Amino acid sequence: MAPVPQPGAAVVADWHRDADSREFFSRILHKKRRRKFSLLESPVMPPHLAVDTVHYKVFISGKSGVGKTALAARLAGRSIPSMHYETTGIETTVVYWPVKLRESGRVLFFRLQLWDCGENALRRFDHLLPSCKEQLDAVLFLFSFTDRTSFDDLSNQIAKWSGPSDRLVKLVVGTKYDLFMHSDVTEREVTRFQEEWGSPVLRTGGEVSDGLGDVAALLNGLAENLWHQDCVAASQHSQQATGTLI
Amino acid sequence: MFGGGQGVLLSSCETERGGKVVWRVFQDSVMLIAVNGGQGGGGGSSRGEELSLQRLLENVWSSMVLVLGQDELASVRNVERLKRDLRSCFSLIDQLLEEKQEGIMGNLTHCADCLVPPNPTLLQEAVENFTQAADSEFGCLMVHGRIAVATEKWWRLAPQEVVLLSALMRSLSASGSASCDYPVFLPHGSPTVAHRLLRFQLLPGADVCVLCGPTPSLLRAETTLVGRFWLPLADTLRDCLAVGERCLPGSVSLRPDVLALLLINRETRRSVSCVRASSDSSVPSRARCWELLKLFYIFSTTRYFSQEETLCVSPEEKPQRSSCEDFAPGFSHQPLQCYLVTEECKCYTLQTPQHQLFLLTPLSVPTFALRTVATHTLSAITAATGF
Repeated sequence: MAPVPQPGAAVVADWHRDADSREFFSRILHKKRRRKFSLLESPVMPPHLAVDTVHYKVFISGKSGVGKTALAARLAGRSIPSMHYETTGIETTVVYWPVKLRESGRVLFFRLQLWDCGENALRRFDHLLPSCKEQLDAVLFLFSFTDRTSFDDLSNQIAKWSGPSDRLVKLVVGTKYDLFMHSDVTEREVTRFQEEWGSPVLRTGGEVSDGLGDVAALLNGLAENLWHQDCVAASQHSQQATGTLI
Repeated sequence: MFGGGQGVLLSSCETERGGKVVWRVFQDSVMLIAVNGGQGGGGGSSRGEELSLQRLLENVWSSMVLVLGQDELASVRNVERLKRDLRSCFSLIDQLLEEKQEGIMGNLTHCADCLVPPNPTLLQEAVENFTQAADSEFGCLMVHGRIAVATEKWWRLAPQEVVLLSALMRSLSASGSASCDYPVFLPHGSPTVAHRLLRFQLLPGADVCVLCGPTPSLLRAETTLVGRFWLPLADTLRDCLAVGERCLPGSVSLRPDVLALLLINRETRRSVSCVRASSDSSVPSRARCWELLKLFYIFSTTRYFSQEETLCVSPEEKPQRSSCEDFAPGFSHQPLQCYLVTEECKCYTLQTPQHQLFLLTPLSVPTFALRTVATHTLSAITAATGF
């Protein structure tokens, strides 16, 4: 996998706790809960605080029942479905997340569109996977702490997605971390995996709280990697062609 | 099954405590069995209960076809695999069993639940242009889980398909996702070849969908079409959302003595229904009104009015079914109106060649005035909306 920036190197970690972030985070909240954005809506900032929005497409990969739909719901601040139902097609979720860049102090809204598709549907209908891959920026590889096989299968999953010339952020997310009593995957194994792949393993699980604290690490990590990838691409691009800026 | 071996047709049975068991074999392959607990709905009559259970069986079968396709269900090669695959239908089937959303009558009536928007022309145009731009002829705008406008071809789908697609859209919409690309089989129109149902959440409560072939991709439709066609109409959509669960625009003024109504257009197989909010404690609650409306519908359609035959009955099954239906009514004429006075409210049904109106009023309305209330209500709605 591509070298990953040190967490917190490019974006301010835990920025949602700082006072200067309130103005921005209030745009994605409604009555102390996360606002849900439909396609015709976006966070509206007052004119003097106009902020650029960057768009990314993120695919959630992982075996059936691992918690793909639940992760999308969690990241968007929606309530997590109490029953497990198979996702029988593609469902996308829009997440807006304000991020402060460490170097310039500039604030950006990340518009992350999460693409979630049930494994069985992917297998039964050939057209779904190409549709998910179209203009993709990142893949989240999910495994569940309560399902050993989903962890063992990670390297296969990741290998499937490595093309020669791809610009793709790849992150590993362990779900159901709260169910550590039933954990099938040990800390040591996770550490070994991180060393081997040079990529941090992000964790998620438990109750959804105010919709900021429990997802900030994951969303900031994802945003940082996406931003880093764009910066690398932009610098390569400007080396090749003379100084065109993206 | 035992009777079938002896050449006897048994279509349902009852338990000692009033529970009812109804079953049906589909495609000579799958038998679905529905059981209810007895006290459940049905207008108190056994035939009424049977109607709602039969409807349930049809709807469940159709949702199975919608998700999995008929081939997989009709020629079962591996039962274990089928059992696993059937899990993908559970979400829709649970929705049919739970009937969570108030005011959705389509599962029972097989008429599409509609909402009449205050400004239909603009929306109709937008749906048509959007659908065309998405290389499709089948498009529909849903507001609060009901169809606000749809293309002509959408209305030519089998009524049951329209109802089922609406149910699917409601469950997708409730999940809160922004857009979807779902493979769907049409139980009547295309049971073996899947189409793509693209759905976009325009505003919370307002979703547009198209049924299309291989193109356009979800990403392309979303990035190039949704904003172009719908952003200019955001305010019109908000007006439409403001109609709320009343389902009728402000231009229709209902008489104060109408508690709840269900209006079916028999030609187009569409329906609107609403329950009026009331703080008066002498009238039944909203939830109870919806329940009463359903019970009264079942009561009048099983006793007096023929239902529009939209059941997915195969030709070879038809003679068997009609033989038991000729039996029951026992009328030499076709009733046009009926009324019922209960302890909770008064009910009135009015049938014209084009419409069926089911009406609930408070007990305070004199029985002799019910007919006037009903005819006024019908003409008020049809005159203002052309429904």
